[in-house]
Amino acid sequence: MGLAWRPLGLRTRVSVSYALGALALSSALALAVPALVQQRLLTNTQSAAQDQVWRNAEALRRDIASSTNDGEPLTENGISSALDDLLRSNGALLLLLLPDGEPRSLSGLLETNIPISVAETVATAGAAQQLTNINDIPQLVIGLRIAEIDATYYELVPLDDLNTTLNTLRVVLGLMAVGSGAAAALIGYYSSRRLLHPLSEVATAAQAIASGRFDTQLDEQPDPDLDRLTTSFNDMGDALRQRIERDQRFASDVSHELRSPLMTLSASVEVLKGRQNEMPEAASQAVDLLASDIARFQQLVADLLEISQLDAGAIVLDRSPLLVGEFLYRVLDQFGASAVISPDPRESEIAVLGDKRRLAQAVSNLLENANKYGGGAKLVRFSGDSSVVTIEVIDDGPGVPEADRTRIFERFSRAGADAGRRETATGVGLGLSLVSEHIRLHEGRVYVTDRLDGKSGARFVIELPAFHRAAEDGELAL
Amino acid sequence: MATKILTVEDDERIRSAVKLAFEEEGWDVSEAGTGEEALAKFSLELPDVVLIDIMLPGIDGFEVCRALRRESDVPIIMVTARADTHDVVAGLEAGADDYLTKPFAPKELSARIRAMLRRARNSDGQTLQRIKVGDLEISPEEGIVLKGEEEVHLTKTEFKLLVELAGQPGKVFSREVLLERVWGYDYFGDGRLVDVHVRRLRTKIEPDAANPRYVVTSRGMGYKLQP
Repeated sequence: MGLAWRPLGLRTRVSVSYALGALALSSALALAVPALVQQRLLTNTQSAAQDQVWRNAEALRRDIASSTNDGEPLTENGISSALDDLLRSNGALLLLLLPDGEPRSLSGLLETNIPISVAETVATAGAAQQLTNINDIPQLVIGLRIAEIDATYYELVPLDDLNTTLNTLRVVLGLMAVGSGAAAALIGYYSSRRLLHPLSEVATAAQAIASGRFDTQLDEQPDPDLDRLTTSFNDMGDALRQRIERDQRFASDVSHELRSPLMTLSASVEVLKGRQNEMPEAASQAVDLLASDIARFQQLVADLLEISQLDAGAIVLDRSPLLVGEFLYRVLDQFGASAVISPDPRESEIAVLGDKRRLAQAVSNLLENANKYGGGAKLVRFSGDSSVVTIEVIDDGPGVPEADRTRIFERFSRAGADAGRRETATGVGLGLSLVSEHIRLHEGRVYVTDRLDGKSGARFVIELPAFHRAAEDGELAL
Repeated sequence: MATKILTVEDDERIRSAVKLAFEEEGWDVSEAGTGEEALAKFSLELPDVVLIDIMLPGIDGFEVCRALRRESDVPIIMVTARADTHDVVAGLEAGADDYLTKPFAPKELSARIRAMLRRARNSDGQTLQRIKVGDLEISPEEGIVLKGEEEVHLTKTEFKLLVELAGQPGKVFSREVLLERVWGYDYFGDGRLVDVHVRRLRTKIEPDAANPRYVVTSRGMGYKLQP
């Protein structure tokens, strides 16, 4: 399928609008400047041309006049040589109309080239000029009446030089427009990046907070515009942290408060248990119920405390090298589990660097879980390579449905709790979440799959970093 | 004569319940609600074991422990809030022999106390010959350690630990083995008991506790007594 439409980023938008703005401005200049320059140049050229034409006409008049003595008719020779002089001196295109109606031109300028409006204005007002195109070259046509000899003098001033200049100017300005557009895009890009830099810091800090580092703070900004953002962000972080700390303290305080009465309860129920044989049957049963629920209550409070410590990041692992085989053997023994350990723990040198009691609790919780939901663990298997040690706890119960495999490691969740499969579920759902937290503290992970041999049952897997014993520096006493 | 336990705990209800449970065990129990009261009762009654809650009004459990240690090697069990706080190590460094976390089952405490009394009374019929290592002379039977000419005062637990290590000089004892032999713990005992006791032992017998000559750490494995 095609790419999903994504709105342009702020930075792109800023760059594009900078570029468009610069382009519009410089294009307007590129259009306006040649027009203004053209106007100005034209005026200058026109007045210069006018002067020139006046001078030419005057020279012509003088030449012609001097070549004829008073009263004598104009000689053809005189006219020709006067025109010739003019032509030589400035190379202009010129045309002289004499009273005899015969046009004289040495440069190919024809009477038909002269716009009628110019001829008429010259005839009535004595002088005229107009811009026109002759042979696709813009030309200024200037006409003058030389009353003294009753002639009309026309001259064409080509403006193609002017046009070349203007065209060059247009090209230069156009290029500059494109260039400044590109430059503006770059400036927009970098300045928006600079402007957005504090935002990316905020984003980084927010990410840090989201991942649990609640003490993340933004540095004080000297810029008053950014100071507000920084201050309110830091205030938000503080408020969040205080709130979370309050919640954690609450859980911890509650558990602490519960311990004193629990202490009294467990000591008292023990005295009662010691005297159970002196009690009537019903009282004795009640004491059993009381004792087992007090034990459960104690475990729950201990788990809650552990969780609140984990949340507060206050757990310090007491790590030492553990031979995994021996460790599992001891855990199973203490738990009273009948599962088989494979391979033989006495022959294995596989080791991890772990907090013995927390790892023992993790494995016990998996065994407990197997008791509750899987009819008890059948096999505990371990293996290790140079980097990872794997411990598997396998039962032959119904297994854990795919959809529950993440959820069961969350607090107070229970496999299939919503599917009504809770007939044997009497414990609270903190056990597996503690397993997950403890293994995570050990830089490991825990997950559940189906059994690998295709039979029904759950396979809980703990993975821990392997530990390699340094060269032995002493013989072990047994 | 019945074993006498001094329970130092500021919560009266806990004190009463623990007293009931201990009396079921056949022990004599005397109670103290504050540290001051505990110190006064201790010198009057000379109990066999002292149980101290760290959280006490007035002078706290650590201070009580240190004060008791100045005049006695009586077995002391600390009651702490949690196993993994610094309280445990601080309590052990103040001189406690063992610790329990609240809420504990009184049965568990009884087991601890019995183990402690056992090691306070004898040395399980170990080889009772004198052991000489460097400047040290250990007499298991008399419970005396000489450093040169001078007698070193060890608590019962420190002494038992030293005798275990001295039983096989040069051999490495894992923390688990020491926990079992000295404290009577199974595999899951807290290794910090061993670590802190070794530290305490070193300050008493080593010429330089920071660079031990006798009780040497075997990296990642345990401790041994250097012959």
